[in-house]
Amino acid sequence: MTHEQWERLKALFSGALDQPAERRHDWLTLHAQGDEVLAREAGALLLAHDTAGGFLEEPAVIDPADLATVDEPASGMRIGSYEIDHEIGRGGMGVVYLARDLRLGRRVALKALPRLHDSNTALRERLRREARAAANISHTAIATVYALEEIDGRLFIASEYIEGHSLRDEIESGPLEQTRAIAIAADIARALCAAHDAGVIHRDLKPENVLITTTGTVKVVDFGIARVDNINTRLTREGETVGTPAYMAPEQFLGSTVDVRADIYAVGVILVEMLTGRHPLMTGGRSMPGSAFEITSKCIQTDPNDRYRSAGELLAALERELANWKAVAEPVTPSVPAASPARWWWEFHQAAVSIVYAVMVWPTWLARNAIGGQEGNAVFVAVLAAAIVAVTLRLHLWFTSRLYSAELGWARARATGWMLVSDAIFAIGLVVAGVLVGDARPALAVIEIAVAVGAATAFAVVEPATARAAFGRTDRL
Amino acid sequence: MPLVYDELRRIAAGYIRRERPGQTLQATALVNEAFVRLASERPRPFANRQHFVAIAALSMRQILVQRARARKAAKRGGAPDRVTLDENLVSTEPPGVDVLVLDEALTRLAAFDPEQARIVELRYFGGLTVEETAEAVGISPATVKRQWAMARAWLKRAVDTAPDDSVDAL
Repeated sequence: MTHEQWERLKALFSGALDQPAERRHDWLTLHAQGDEVLAREAGALLLAHDTAGGFLEEPAVIDPADLATVDEPASGMRIGSYEIDHEIGRGGMGVVYLARDLRLGRRVALKALPRLHDSNTALRERLRREARAAANISHTAIATVYALEEIDGRLFIASEYIEGHSLRDEIESGPLEQTRAIAIAADIARALCAAHDAGVIHRDLKPENVLITTTGTVKVVDFGIARVDNINTRLTREGETVGTPAYMAPEQFLGSTVDVRADIYAVGVILVEMLTGRHPLMTGGRSMPGSAFEITSKCIQTDPNDRYRSAGELLAALERELANWKAVAEPVTPSVPAASPARWWWEFHQAAVSIVYAVMVWPTWLARNAIGGQEGNAVFVAVLAAAIVAVTLRLHLWFTSRLYSAELGWARARATGWMLVSDAIFAIGLVVAGVLVGDARPALAVIEIAVAVGAATAFAVVEPATARAAFGRTDRL
Repeated sequence: MPLVYDELRRIAAGYIRRERPGQTLQATALVNEAFVRLASERPRPFANRQHFVAIAALSMRQILVQRARARKAAKRGGAPDRVTLDENLVSTEPPGVDVLVLDEALTRLAAFDPEQARIVELRYFGGLTVEETAEAVGISPATVKRQWAMARAWLKRAVDTAPDDSVDAL
């Protein structure tokens, strides 16, 4: 409905409402001016109005218990020595906030665990122990736990705040590149090695719990505290949607004892998801590379005894796989042939062009004075700017070629576009200067235009030729 | 915002401490009490009462929606894989309007008539009278009445035609 229609509907409704009930229909027909849809809509609204009874007439009613138990820290609130900034996520065991530790002035991820009833001392003790164990693990691929706080009878876990995104975000935009997927799985396995050595099992590994920092580092979060012991004592809190236990190993699902191999199962599921973009139960006939398939299927065996026995074993397999992939696909970097006489000429060309460009600033300055006014200034500034860019880039290439030959391929690749633009502006600027100064200083005009032609020739013919001779390619420069 | 929200919660906690189980509060009473308390605590916490009431009404709406969602999740999650530690989740749905359906309809209404939506929010969630609403919105009581009548009819239709579990699809 457009704004205009809505306004007309409002007018029709209000107008009809002012009429006695028995005349409303006729009033509507008369005033709708043939717009039957609108008349019908107004009629339906009138009917709803007449039959609404006490709908919304009494203000909302609230159970005080409801209000008091909405115990979600709000933004700006102080909890102990932490100041809540905003919610950054919610998961199996509570809501996570970005907060500031006012004592140390650093940002932390503050996880609010659900309020436990006083009777639940065993669970509370268990949580404390788990958090303490998690705080003892130190590894680059694990988010560091800073502190376990008990504030007003409620447990909070302060840990390293990780800026980045979750692996889930990445999987949602499609399968990951092969080597990247395996590298991430290897990083998770490394984190698991450290944790398992410290006696901590994650129990709730899933793409949501694997974060990737803005610098690309993998960080596993929520160690040990995500799920306590087994499924039967899983903590839940209001507002949490119950997901399918998609990453749980079968033995975990059945509530029997869980060891490190449950985490290995989860890594297998995550790896399949990274490679195919889908959960293994839904992959259908999607193909996976043979060797990666072997690793994942060994991870997700139903019987824990058929899986890798430790995270270290899994890591070794992943690293072998990664090495295989790297051997097959060497990273493509622009390579440069060794120095040659042709290369000397290419360097000479760069240097010579630089000198010519620099020298041409002087006649262009004279031309500017002769032309005068805004036009003279504009032409001079354009030529000067183009000359500076072109000369800087050429000297950079010359320098790189002389001293850091290995980098030259990259340097040329980066400089090409800019050189094209600056050369073009330089040549056009000279021509314009030549034309404008033509009447006043014919000699200067000749120089300007001659050099412009020369520069264009060098740029279009000589430079590609020397570059081809020096680098054996058909590209520019 | 956090201030009003927290105050509403503090008052509710007070009611519970004074042991009046099962007693429900009307939005009007709650919002009034919160205002009186905040106004006495601070010299000039809000630009005016209207400003306060607008925030309080919005807070009430958010709280009610949040609780309704939690209840719904608790109900749906009756599966054996969870143990609910928060017993308050088990309490029963208050009678009357399904707040989630209403909230959703109100959001839709706000998209093409923000004023009507605001009037509903103030009257229903803030417990304001027609006159108070008129003052808060800055229009005449007669206009509030007309707008309210139409918004109420529109929402009634929207709520009645809403599919049973429309909120799930959100």
